[in-house]
Amino acid sequence: MAAEIEKKQNPSAESPTGAVLKPLATAARQFARSLIRPSTILYPFERLEDPKFRSEVAVESGRPIGVGEVWDNYRGVHALNVNTCISCNLCAFSCPDLCIEMVTVPGGDPKHPKKCPQIDYGKCSYCGFCSDACPEGCLTMTTKYELSTPNRKDMVYSPQKMFEQFQRKLPMNPIRLERPANEDAILLDAPLCIGCNACARDCPTNCITMLDIPKEAPKPGEKAAKRIWKEPVVNDSDCVRCGTCISVCPKECLFWGTHS
Amino acid sequence: MSDMWINMGPQHPMTHGLWNLRVHIDGEMILGVDPEMGYLHRGIEKISEDRHYNEVITLMDRTCYVAGMAWEHLYIQAAEKALGLEPPERAEWIRMMSEEFQRLASHIMWYAAFVQDLGLMSPFLYGMRDRDLILDLFQSYTGGRLTYEYMRVGGVRNDLPVGFNDRARKVLDWLEPRLVEYDRLCMGSDIFRRRCDDLGILKAADCVKHGVTGPMLRSAGSKRDIRKDRPYSRYAQVDFDVATAESADVTGRYLVRMEEMRQSIRILRQTLDWLDHHPGPVLADRLPRWLGAPYAPIGREAYLLKRNYPKGIGLSAIEEPHGEACAYVVNEGGEHPYRVKFRSPVFANLSAASQYLVGYHVADIPPIMGSVDVCVGEVDR
Repeated sequence: MAAEIEKKQNPSAESPTGAVLKPLATAARQFARSLIRPSTILYPFERLEDPKFRSEVAVESGRPIGVGEVWDNYRGVHALNVNTCISCNLCAFSCPDLCIEMVTVPGGDPKHPKKCPQIDYGKCSYCGFCSDACPEGCLTMTTKYELSTPNRKDMVYSPQKMFEQFQRKLPMNPIRLERPANEDAILLDAPLCIGCNACARDCPTNCITMLDIPKEAPKPGEKAAKRIWKEPVVNDSDCVRCGTCISVCPKECLFWGTHS
Repeated sequence: MSDMWINMGPQHPMTHGLWNLRVHIDGEMILGVDPEMGYLHRGIEKISEDRHYNEVITLMDRTCYVAGMAWEHLYIQAAEKALGLEPPERAEWIRMMSEEFQRLASHIMWYAAFVQDLGLMSPFLYGMRDRDLILDLFQSYTGGRLTYEYMRVGGVRNDLPVGFNDRARKVLDWLEPRLVEYDRLCMGSDIFRRRCDDLGILKAADCVKHGVTGPMLRSAGSKRDIRKDRPYSRYAQVDFDVATAESADVTGRYLVRMEEMRQSIRILRQTLDWLDHHPGPVLADRLPRWLGAPYAPIGREAYLLKRNYPKGIGLSAIEEPHGEACAYVVNEGGEHPYRVKFRSPVFANLSAASQYLVGYHVADIPPIMGSVDVCVGEVDR
């Protein structure tokens, strides 16, 4: 073992000058190098997110502060494209800190107002689960990291404020959860369905259509069943698997499953 | 009559975090010590019971703030055993690589803090500078510098970016001569040796008696290392030696950690070579829907999940940078773990403080406690 061998070679014991000078020589070499190539940066003026500066301080430059092209993956403040947000609620659902609240934004019809995420950065842990969950890719994380503010209310970023981040065109985090193809589908337990239209009304992608089904003839001696003679049909290619339809179904007749 | 109790901590440069060492002294001699922990208790085990299996990972990074990857790995292994899942081969190697990089970063951090306890300021700055390169590597593939949130049940979040292996090799090439420099600064100095030799001795038998593990146990001559004894992940397929020393004192712990860093670099080179030639998926397909996706089961699915999902118990142990850590996850059906329990190595190492502090001087406390490598985040959890 190299460690044990080194232990046995007791360094220059009993000669204080050698003992002091040996580490001092190493420190002096470091000091001399730091005069030519300092190991620190002048932060507000030199920034690691600047690609030009980054290549200057990569490991191979001998002034190692960063390792090169790494900054774009940083998980910082979110950017939200309000226009493509479909209000599916998945970001709020996946947040472990419950810091995402869906708030109404202008635009969208008055009956069903459009809701977009509002993030409280006082609670956020920057885990990135929300941007991984976003099916439309409209909620991403940028490289912005300067958040200090004297006012706690400023920590709450409204959708509009995050839209401003989006418009600044900061480098977006290109890394996303590599999720395998989703084979799940919304299935219908037809005998339970009353055709109430709640699922189709609340579906964020409008992938559920209510199709007419033939009206059943009542059995002899019974009244006709009280229901609207329609049934939801889910377009699987548009479905983002948010589960809104399942949660609004009053009869719990929609459920997750596979077609096979 | 001259004996008295003094408090070292909760705010003291020696403590490296929030804990209190009550010391019973007579003049300069230590008669007894009484470590008090619990200032940083956050109830991580209890919070975990209310989170989805993947959401617990955000807590794991905060359990030990210098070894987040190791704790993620620990929890994920236990959770996968409890859920009966198997990660892809490439994910296992990436996890092993992450853990070794974390061990390297953690030991460099320890070196920086330890020598600062001895009053050496410049090695502290060298250590922090070199650790930053490893954090940059972490940032390049996880997106975080300290809280990675990288591993997922059934694999890891994303594959390594293009050119990562070359960047990692460059960092290793930079670090290897730095380790020699560290040694020159400390082992080359007679003052360092006089300060640390024959200090804080804890023999192997006492270590085992008090549950002390990791570099402290190996510095007493024991060859116990979970990576060798019960290989997890892919440690059986890489070639490395267990670092040991015989002296069981502060110098021995220093030598063991330095040698472990060299062995980590050796493991990392082999791992990067393997990753070069074996592309593949990093997340298992066929995950249960509520694990691969962010949404929770609703309605009848929650009910069915509670009843029908296979139950299980997961137990995993890894060689964390500080010692042997253990996680225990109980899956009673449903999307939350029923119970999560962690064994923190530093808790045991700290609890045995009276064994290696009594009989020395008050001025010896900072080097001895520095050599234990205290991380209070995982002590209190």
